[in-house]
Amino acid sequence: MRKPYSYGLGLAAVLLTAAMASCSGGEDPPPPGVDAGSNGTEDSGTLPVDSGTPDAGVDAGVDSGTPDAGDDAGTPDAGPGLPDGSVVIPTSLADLGLFTGSPATGGLQPVQGNIPYELTTPLFSDYALKFRTLYIPPGKTAAYRANDLLDLPVGTLITKTFSFPADLREPEKNVRVIETRVLVRQPGGWEAYPYFWNAEQTAATLAVGGRVVRDIELIDEAGVTRKFDYLVPSKNQCSMCHHVLDSSQNQVLLPIGVKARYLNRDYVYGGQPANQLQYLADLGKLTGLPASNVPRAPDAFNPAEAELGLRARTYLDINCAHCHRENATAGDTSRMFLDLDSTATLNLNMGVCKRPGSAGSGVGGEFDIVPGDHSVSILWYRLHTEESGKMMPQIGRALRHDQGSSLIADWIDSMPARSCK
Amino acid sequence: MQRLPLSRAPRAVLLALVGLLALPACSDDEEGTGTPDAGNTIPDAGTRTDAGTDAGTDAGTDAGTDAGTTTAWPQDFSCEGKPQQTLTFNANQVQELQDAVNSLAACTTIQLGAGTFQFDNALTIRANGITVVGAGKGAQGEGTGGSASTVLDFSDAAGNTNGIDVSDAKLFTVRDVALWNAKKDALRIENSSNILVQRIRTEWAVENNESNGKYGIYPVKSSYVIIEDSEAYNAADAGIYVGQTRYAIVRRNIAKKNVAGIEIENTKFAYVQGNIAQDNTAGLVVFDLPGNPIRGTDVLVTGNTITGNNRNNFASVSASSSTVSQVPAGTGTFILASRRVEFVGNTWGDNNTVDIAVLSGLAIEPDLTLWSAGFFNFASSDVYIHGNTFQEGSGDMVDNGHPDAERRPLGALVGAVYQYGAAAAGVSLVEHLLWDGIDPAPRNESLLNPVNICFTGNTLPATTKAAIVDLDLQAVSGHLLSASPNVAAAWGETRRFTQGAAPFNCSGFSPKLALP
Repeated sequence: MRKPYSYGLGLAAVLLTAAMASCSGGEDPPPPGVDAGSNGTEDSGTLPVDSGTPDAGVDAGVDSGTPDAGDDAGTPDAGPGLPDGSVVIPTSLADLGLFTGSPATGGLQPVQGNIPYELTTPLFSDYALKFRTLYIPPGKTAAYRANDLLDLPVGTLITKTFSFPADLREPEKNVRVIETRVLVRQPGGWEAYPYFWNAEQTAATLAVGGRVVRDIELIDEAGVTRKFDYLVPSKNQCSMCHHVLDSSQNQVLLPIGVKARYLNRDYVYGGQPANQLQYLADLGKLTGLPASNVPRAPDAFNPAEAELGLRARTYLDINCAHCHRENATAGDTSRMFLDLDSTATLNLNMGVCKRPGSAGSGVGGEFDIVPGDHSVSILWYRLHTEESGKMMPQIGRALRHDQGSSLIADWIDSMPARSCK
Repeated sequence: MQRLPLSRAPRAVLLALVGLLALPACSDDEEGTGTPDAGNTIPDAGTRTDAGTDAGTDAGTDAGTDAGTTTAWPQDFSCEGKPQQTLTFNANQVQELQDAVNSLAACTTIQLGAGTFQFDNALTIRANGITVVGAGKGAQGEGTGGSASTVLDFSDAAGNTNGIDVSDAKLFTVRDVALWNAKKDALRIENSSNILVQRIRTEWAVENNESNGKYGIYPVKSSYVIIEDSEAYNAADAGIYVGQTRYAIVRRNIAKKNVAGIEIENTKFAYVQGNIAQDNTAGLVVFDLPGNPIRGTDVLVTGNTITGNNRNNFASVSASSSTVSQVPAGTGTFILASRRVEFVGNTWGDNNTVDIAVLSGLAIEPDLTLWSAGFFNFASSDVYIHGNTFQEGSGDMVDNGHPDAERRPLGALVGAVYQYGAAAAGVSLVEHLLWDGIDPAPRNESLLNPVNICFTGNTLPATTKAAIVDLDLQAVSGHLLSASPNVAAAWGETRRFTQGAAPFNCSGFSPKLALP
């Protein structure tokens, strides 16, 4: 008869079984290693300069609601605010007072103090062009954090305006602005609101129920015409991406991109390029910015900036890790932790030879990552496919990001090939 | 196929296992003892007083079948003493409905008129004390609401969206609606508590369609959940799927034409009573998945009808790792990586592969490291099957006679062995209870029933000889998957037991189930 076990395993399993039997009816002891914070993982992809900062990421925003105002009471806040710093959410975007002009008049311009910025690697959303601004109320400041979101004060407004040019090769021409999403730091935490631009491009109106824009046509960078339905997420859907579970297992809404590592790049302000973080600090809007060793996530698509592995992980970090990390829903379920801060075992929790518990139908393979072969790796399949029910992320795209798909394919293919069992 | 035999564990696993022994063996279970054993305090659940009364009446020892009826579950949110309002919407007001749902005050009832609501996006709910109520769930096949039914039609919804999508909601009720053609899950409820799903129908228009949505009714990572008097049809995964949940009552529902009818996954303290699971690939299943930190336990399955689950598996057309796509057609019930599961007063019959299979999690995932999150919860144990009725017609055509070694290896193996058994030993039917003999790994041949499977007092067809088979899956697969397959030797590894034979004539386990 076949003897499938090594002796050692058999012994260990017997002992294990005995240990388990003695727990009959008991609650599960914590799985080993799950809460291990810093025990020497092979996290080769982490950013080079983030050493020393403990437990990044997961506790962000848990302190939301801490009223950090008070001493600035007489400061005249721009925008519609209440004495406790709450921002009143108007029906019209214009009434937030963050922009002048409109797309119809040739340009939506941020008012002074509403500071535009870009990320080193942005999240992909159906090739939408995104215009981001950050408004920190007068008299208030953000606090620098090395690996975490900037600690932004009550009253902060983050906007992101989504638009589609007719032809991505000429992004300035024939641009249709679809929506402006606003994240607000209220005293009770972050809130998210979508504003939908009218067809005339003269005004954007609060659309908490979301909208579907049918049949958007877009010529992509390769000259291929793409046609798709674009989903303006409803207010409640914002938390599908912008969330983390707090210690009571309640969802807390959080921004995604306003981390030092994604902000650490230049932007042209008034004709002068300046580092975005330094610019904020110089304006007195950011405290604690160190003189050096500020982390930087590379441009995932610029090979000159970083090696392939770090660029791929950066792409996964900005596109996937808002869910795929500890204390977020998909991470919890899938045990895939795709954040750059993850201290979890790199290989397994990134998906290397990891079989998903329940991947659903037809996801292209048996393992999340099969080293050396992207074509049978579920991770790649999920971000490559355009099939409903199979594609990732769960929300926010109807189209494949060809560049991103290629990047992850190249990364998986670059891993020393081995078969998974 | 290559996944069936247990792989040799890597050294790291050995080390992990040995290391585990140094851990404190147990922690206190704040839930397992002194559990509030009961029903629900959600307003107007109405019919709850009759729960369980028709279940297990022939058992005599069916402790717990009338659970779920008296004491209130704890609630961490209540609408008592708070302002409450009702918002009413008709089928031509979907955008207004969406806007309102995204600005909900707590304790709001959303009243939906009769008719067909055409959605282009999910109905996403993130507030406490919300009730969604329609005019009626209508009948199977109705994709259009009538004068007494409310159909939420997601046929034209944006891709990748669910139907009703509830998250972080305390005290949520949905009733008297149908959810039609959702892109993904019809009703998904996540990270929520005190949930009542009552008289709803989830359905996709086309049968056997791989691209149908995955789950009909899907509460996950939640607690205190009741699903009752509802129906689920044509889900490409499971009609009703309770996942990673603590305290669930699933009663008087109908699940048909799904790949899996009703699934209880990584769930603690579940009461599954009076449901009908028919015409699915697999009727009703209880299992833990690898990699999930919740260790399922304490599940009572009583008064259910689990017959004729012979639908061909339509879960996938390409290589897939989903658990459900590996299930052979004709599986009445399987228990996988589960413990403390009691079946009493149920009826099985006409399930072509087998009525009940008790499987180790290692049969689908041999890599122990992947079971570490749930404290190595791969083993099945303490399965008590008593006072049930087994009708005829089961076990006579494994996987409907269409085995697929690649996609559904277990069925292929069982089919091959029994083909031989029929010819050589006159055993033409797979016994009512099939145990894979894996747990506790490694196998010790001298122990006939080491995981405490009890099979007693069940009504069996007059023709039944043996009722239980210890398949010894590892040995059987070893013979069948070797370079020179030896089916006679594989057959020789299997052992059969009649009902009443020791040691399967045991009387359950203790302590008794801690039930909702």
